[in-house]
Amino acid sequence: MAWRPLPLLAALLALGVLEGTARAAVPATEAAGPRVHVELISETAGIEPGGAVWVGIRQRIAPGWHTYWINPGDSGEPMTVAWDLPGGVAAGPLVWPHPERIPVGPAMSFGYSDEVVVLARLTAPADLPPGTRLALRGRASWLVCAKICIPEEAELALTLPVAAARPAPDPRSAPAIAAARRAIPAPSPWPARYAATPQSVTLTVAAPGLRADRVGEVWFFPARWGVIDHAAPQDTTVDPGGIVLRLKRGDLVEAAEGPIDGVLVIRERLDGGMVSQAFVIQATSSDTPGPSTPIIPALSLLEAMGLALLGGLVLNLMPCVLPVLSVKALALVAHADAAPGAAWRQGLAYTAGVLVSFAALAGGLLTLRAGGDQIGWGFQLQSPLVVTLLAYLFFALALALSGVWLAGGRLTGFGQGLTARPGHAGAFFTGALAAVAATPCTAPFMGVAVGYAVTQPAGAALLVFEALGLGLALPFLALSLAPAWRRWLPRPGAWMEWLKQALAFPLYATAAWLVWVLSRQAGPEAVAAALGGLVLIAFAAWLHGRTRDAPPHWRRAGSVTAATAVAAALALGPLALSAPPSAPPASAATAGGPVAERWSPRRLAELRAQGKPVFVNFTAAWCITCLVNERVALHSPVVIEAFARKDVAYLKGDWTSRSAEIAAGLGTFGRNGVPLYVVYPAGATTPTVLPQILSEGTILEAIEGR
Amino acid sequence: MTPERLSRRDFIARTGLAAATIGAVDGLARPRPAQAAVAKVGEAAPAFTSTSTSGAAVSLADYRGKLVILEWTNHDCPYVRKHYDTGNMQALQRETTGAGVIWLTVISSAPGEQGYVKPAQADELTTSRKAGPTAVLLDPKGEVGRMYGATNTPHMYVVDKAGLLIYAGAIDDQPTTRRGDVAGANNYVRAALQSVAAGQPVKTPVTRAYGCTVKYS
Repeated sequence: MAWRPLPLLAALLALGVLEGTARAAVPATEAAGPRVHVELISETAGIEPGGAVWVGIRQRIAPGWHTYWINPGDSGEPMTVAWDLPGGVAAGPLVWPHPERIPVGPAMSFGYSDEVVVLARLTAPADLPPGTRLALRGRASWLVCAKICIPEEAELALTLPVAAARPAPDPRSAPAIAAARRAIPAPSPWPARYAATPQSVTLTVAAPGLRADRVGEVWFFPARWGVIDHAAPQDTTVDPGGIVLRLKRGDLVEAAEGPIDGVLVIRERLDGGMVSQAFVIQATSSDTPGPSTPIIPALSLLEAMGLALLGGLVLNLMPCVLPVLSVKALALVAHADAAPGAAWRQGLAYTAGVLVSFAALAGGLLTLRAGGDQIGWGFQLQSPLVVTLLAYLFFALALALSGVWLAGGRLTGFGQGLTARPGHAGAFFTGALAAVAATPCTAPFMGVAVGYAVTQPAGAALLVFEALGLGLALPFLALSLAPAWRRWLPRPGAWMEWLKQALAFPLYATAAWLVWVLSRQAGPEAVAAALGGLVLIAFAAWLHGRTRDAPPHWRRAGSVTAATAVAAALALGPLALSAPPSAPPASAATAGGPVAERWSPRRLAELRAQGKPVFVNFTAAWCITCLVNERVALHSPVVIEAFARKDVAYLKGDWTSRSAEIAAGLGTFGRNGVPLYVVYPAGATTPTVLPQILSEGTILEAIEGR
Repeated sequence: MTPERLSRRDFIARTGLAAATIGAVDGLARPRPAQAAVAKVGEAAPAFTSTSTSGAAVSLADYRGKLVILEWTNHDCPYVRKHYDTGNMQALQRETTGAGVIWLTVISSAPGEQGYVKPAQADELTTSRKAGPTAVLLDPKGEVGRMYGATNTPHMYVVDKAGLLIYAGAIDDQPTTRRGDVAGANNYVRAALQSVAAGQPVKTPVTRAYGCTVKYS
């Protein structure tokens, strides 16, 4: 039969039409496949035995649909992954990029649209034979919603070869994982506090120096439901002290007891546009003076005063106070046979000294708190100068107890040989000394009472502190008031001298501890200055002590020289403290980055003439993106090692306080803002400008010329 | 500018007027919150009147003196289906209504949205799923839902005999769509009723309700 095209064409056309109508008859809701396509991707193209690899679960979400963050908000469910990994391979928890706000009617959810990569860290056992292949499997389940919600599941599968050495990044997936890493909230460099009322939560992030014109939107995403009302607007202000967010309180009453965890997302205005930076925030309640103080249960004033009294009593046993108290007690023992009247007057004078000193300290604390400082008891120890002076004081006292010198004169009434009878002024000042000596130490019960006191109006707070002082003074007061007690004291004897010298050691220990505190606060230079000061104090004490028995001429010379040495010691402290520490305090900073030199056009030209590769970082303290870039990329060990290996010179241009030189430097690249990262490869004529969002990979590529 | 000498009366009068004006302007100008979730656990449950599937008007006040359970539902939501397909919700409904508790199922889906049903459809669902509520209330405008701040389906509320809201939140502590999670879950509604029976305060009065969002208009 001859081939007839026309009937054939007609048949094909009919088939096509039929198929088309058949397709249209299928309801739209069933026709679509999964709304989210997931795949498991890996940062590196292999895994080494004993090593770790970052994998990502990449969700490609259909337009109009969204998946959820770990706190999904008012509705929704985050993705979960059930891993099926070969023996010995362990998976860490899922690490989530920061979410966006997804309003759903009157409610608010937190999640992702379009695409998101959720990271997890897999570790391999050390005994994996190189050359084999690891089959990584898992089952991911998630909820995807548009107007309706659909729970979906998919299998994850990825095979990684076991490499003998450090595997190379996988070029197909490394960029996606690097981008995900940038969206992972970084640890916050700023402390955060919150104050809660039944209707609101006010979150304060102490980020001094932020510029309001650089900050766009700020959003807080709590880690769990019920802390704040998710849908309510977040009223944000940026002031010189930092960021303050006024949030509507959520429904869960207990959510505002204890720290509030969450993620703070700040959108910063850069030259090229807005960029989001996310930080992990843990806000502590500003009702508690500091993280070390326990949560304060509701106390009445009387209860707090009682606890303060108890605390003061226990404070007598602390190494700071015990020696001072004991020496006074020893003096009392030595004069047990004296007229009873003298003893109780001594006791009263001592108590007065303690009470007045505590009132002064409490007054200082309350004034500073009223001025807005978030400080607690022991605030005086936050100043390196005070710590240095206290260390000197304790050292000098310890030397007196050791017998190096005798603290003579009516004013001290201390260690004046136990023969002389101390005067009332002496007792007063010994009380003041005991109060000052008590400040570095804290006792049980004290914490709760003091924590209560700082939340109360000035009058109540003062009463609590006076109760503390009374507790401190009570043992000695009791001893001096009741003659009966003194019968229980042992008879004076040689043991008193022995005990006095032994008691010097707790004081030496306190001085040593204070020097350690100083090292944490102000760095090695301050420690060197303090130690020098202590040497001068020791010299002064020895000189003063040796010349007491000498003829008057020598005695005077000795006193003057000793006084000069003490003055020098006192001057040394502030001098060293005025120079900023060369390395930032360990608690605040992460591992330091590559060693940076100050940028200047001349230095740049010098280094380039030497043929060295140069990495230039223009930054400022108020630039959030700069901060995140430093922590995430520049300070990573891989980059530091690469800088060292390639002998890259690192120049930092700090634009925190504007400088015309740096402005000109920025201008040569057509920029007028930070951050700006420029790499001058060795021997190349043109520099490479890196993107404003840095990742390890970007830096390594630029340096290694990959 | 030299301050004019005011008599004390004038001064007080002017200051008072100024303060009153400022107060009035401030009060008028302050934006009202767009939606205040009125229901709060520990306070009186908001009074409402809604229509049941039989066309009758049903008020919360009708049931003063009895325990009332409010269940927000959407029959197509996977989370609601988890409880109905396993028979969990029906069993709870029978258990509680058998003990004299009033169970009101509320549908706040807007017309055209998922979960919206006409009265006949709602009754048909009740029969086919063998559900046992006292009444099914249709709230297509979402008035009752917004009054209670219902955000999800299922969202459960328990009102005690004196009209106080004593529980608001999830039905249980397994916020998933997996049927297997129903059996071992800690049912908050049952626990609330047990606390009431024992004369004790409800241990967890507020929880995060899980499920699909209520499809308000």
